[in-house]
Amino acid sequence: MASGIGEARIRVPAQIRKGELITVHSIVSHPMDTGFFRTRDGDPIPAYFIKSVVVTYGNEEVARFEWTSGISRDPVITFTVRADREAQLAMVWTDNKGGVYRQSTDIAFTTA
Amino acid sequence: MRLPLTRRNFLRTAALATGALLSADAATRAEPLWAGSVGPEDPEVPNEAVARVLRERFGDRPIRRGHVSLDMPAVAEDGRVVPVIIESDLPMTPDAWVKGVHLIVDHNPDAHLAAFHLTPAIGSVSITTRIKMKRTTWVRAILETSGGELWADYTRVLVTLNGCG
Repeated sequence: MASGIGEARIRVPAQIRKGELITVHSIVSHPMDTGFFRTRDGDPIPAYFIKSVVVTYGNEEVARFEWTSGISRDPVITFTVRADREAQLAMVWTDNKGGVYRQSTDIAFTTA
Repeated sequence: MRLPLTRRNFLRTAALATGALLSADAATRAEPLWAGSVGPEDPEVPNEAVARVLRERFGDRPIRRGHVSLDMPAVAEDGRVVPVIIESDLPMTPDAWVKGVHLIVDHNPDAHLAAFHLTPAIGSVSITTRIKMKRTTWVRAILETSGGELWADYTRVLVTLNGCG
C-alpha cells in the first residue's frame, strides 16, 4: 500500500466528439488517514490526506476541489467536462504533508 | 417539491421506514431521533459546527431546497466507504453557472467534508465520490451559483459501522 501512494489514473471516453459533455473518472492511491485511528500497538496514526485537487484543461483551470480526510481511502472523483477543444486534461492532487501527485490524459476528437 | 416515484425516491422512502422501525426503541430513550425536524424529509436543525460552516460560507443568505439531487444509500453498512452522487439541473454557462458544491455531514468530526469549485467549462454538475461517515446523520449538498443563490438537497443516511474512528 505505502509504496503506491500518489499513483493516479484518469479515464475519459475512448470516442469523443467535439462539443460533447464527457465524464471524467479519476482515482489516486492515498491512505486518507483521519488522525483519529491508532495502530495495533496503540500509537496514533497522524492525519495524512489529500487536501486539494486542481483540474486543468489546456491552460485553463476548470475545477478545484477542497477535501478533508472525510474522503474515503484511495479517493475517486467523477465529474464532467465540455470537450470543446483538443487539449490535455490534467489533475494535480496535493496532500497535507506536501506530496504532489500529477496525472493527465489527452482529449482528442474522433475523426469520422 | 413533489417527487416522482423514481427508484431513488422509492429506496429513500423505504429506508426511512426501515430506519423508523429499527429505532423504535431508541426513540423512547433520552435522545429524540427527529429533534427539531419538521417532517421526515427535512434535515434536523444544524448543530453548532454545521451552523458555523453555513454562516462562514453563506452568511445569512437563504438556502432553498431544489435544483440539486444528493443521492446516497439510505443505509450505509460500512461508514468508511459511502458513495455520493451530486447532480443539478442548474445551467453551466458563462452567464450563469454553479461555482461551488459543498458537502456537509452533520455529525462527522469535520462536518464540511468537501467543497468542489467549478467553472462553466465543467458543463454540468454531476459529481461522484466516496466519503466516510461516523454515524447516522443528515447529509447536506449545498450549491452556490455565480449569482449568489443557494440551492440544496438533504438526505439522512443510516450508518452501522463508524468510518471515522
